Amino acid sequence: MSFTLLTQSAVGGLLLGGIYGLLALGLSLSWGLLRLVNLSHFALAFLGAYLIYHLGTNYGVPAWLSALIILPAFFLVGLALHALFVHFKVSEFASMLVTFGLTILIESLIQWIWSADFLKYETSYAQESLRIGPLYVPILELLTLVAAAVLAAAAWFGLNRTTLGKALRAAAHDGPIAAAFGINAKRLSYVLAGLCAASAGVAGLFIALTSTLAPSQIESWIGVVFAVVIIGGLANPVGALAAGMLIGVSEALTMAVVNPAWAPLVAFSILIILLLWRPKWL
Amino acid sequence: MLLEVRNLHVAYGDAPALWEAALDIGAGQIVSVVGPNGAGKSTLINAIAGILRPTHGEIRIDGAEIARIPGYRVCDHGIAIVPEGRRLFTHMTVLENLELGSYRGAARAVRDEGIEEVFSLFPILRERQNQISGSMSGGQQQMVAIGRALMARPRVLLMDEPSLGLSPAVVEDMFKIIRMINERGVAVLLVEQNINKALEIAHHAYVIEQGRIVTSGQPSTLLSNPRIREAYLGI
Repeated sequence: MSFTLLTQSAVGGLLLGGIYGLLALGLSLSWGLLRLVNLSHFALAFLGAYLIYHLGTNYGVPAWLSALIILPAFFLVGLALHALFVHFKVSEFASMLVTFGLTILIESLIQWIWSADFLKYETSYAQESLRIGPLYVPILELLTLVAAAVLAAAAWFGLNRTTLGKALRAAAHDGPIAAAFGINAKRLSYVLAGLCAASAGVAGLFIALTSTLAPSQIESWIGVVFAVVIIGGLANPVGALAAGMLIGVSEALTMAVVNPAWAPLVAFSILIILLLWRPKWL
Repeated sequence: MLLEVRNLHVAYGDAPALWEAALDIGAGQIVSVVGPNGAGKSTLINAIAGILRPTHGEIRIDGAEIARIPGYRVCDHGIAIVPEGRRLFTHMTVLENLELGSYRGAARAVRDEGIEEVFSLFPILRERQNQISGSMSGGQQQMVAIGRALMARPRVLLMDEPSLGLSPAVVEDMFKIIRMINERGVAVLLVEQNINKALEIAHHAYVIEQGRIVTSGQPSTLLSNPRIREAYLGI
């Protein structure tokens, strides 16, 4: 086991953390601030990835242009979905069941349209990478991490430095008192739900560009990203990204050093250790 | 009348908690509502603040009906609450709590002046402005809760058990502060179990028992009523 190989694995893991962080962001905010555990976030991301694949492969639409269409559309999907949650007064636990059902529905839809086969969105730039000394850094994965970092920073700024973000946090903390001071939590929650859904679109874009698509992939992400959300702390965007990178690196190193089959064990082992240990910074 | 409550009924689900409540607060008055635990004092104050929705009845401020408007718009009419147990946004700083007090329109426009006024009323909060509010002592948290409510520029300040859980010395200060706020022209509706204090400071008082307002009048009159002396003051 050479040092270069280890470092290369770590870099790969760090970059993988980008996509974990992207997916975790929307889930973490929705769970922490709206008290809705939105499992369909993953299905939505994959739906976005498939749409980008479809538009690109069949009509030659560049991925960035597809994303420009999909993001506002997903924002609206987020609003519509939230309207249902609000109308039926869906509780935290019930939201998990409802969105699990929705996930199955979207997964079936994807399978019906695009089949259960593995698909890969081929682009001329897919294999581009930077070379830093002995290390290769694939450009698209690097962009994923950059996008995750930009979104996490934007979300942090929005929640901690703007009045609307503080109002959202206040409403999540004590809804009735926030309302007594004029905070219209319902309207803010719609905006947040829309933004979370749009962030699933961003994750979809990078899933399309960097991963192989199959409907069954949706579920394989749920477990790891759940662990990432909990380790990162609910409604903590920067924590979600940091946890994503931690899990990504740990998985990659496990694959390189021990055995690739052990990688799925890592996320939950770390989660359990951290939950037992409960360090102060968590 | 600045604030008029008429025939107000409030229920928690199917369980009624307040019947036929009627209450008046004149401009610049301190009005106390006293009564035992569970009599419906908090229910009354929360209904006025828009936190609980009445099943029936009217709440008017300067003639404007507010019992049926969305809860988050009640504060636009100049009503702010210092809730029981303070209920600060404990994970936020003192300054952020104060900022959120002036979330709406007119109050937000004069936020900086408001913060200065709160700091002049509670100098300790200026020093502690960047401290997480949940980490402060009970008395200091009560200052933040009062400051947050003042940030909303209220015409009527609703105070629900402000002395609860505070040491006697701090309670003494709290009532001085209430008087100071009132002298600045803010009407105060005070709900208290500390009946001596609440009656001492009030211009007018109501006694509430088992969800009904049973009597009202000048504090001195109430204090001379033998039944009230026996029931609440143990003399």
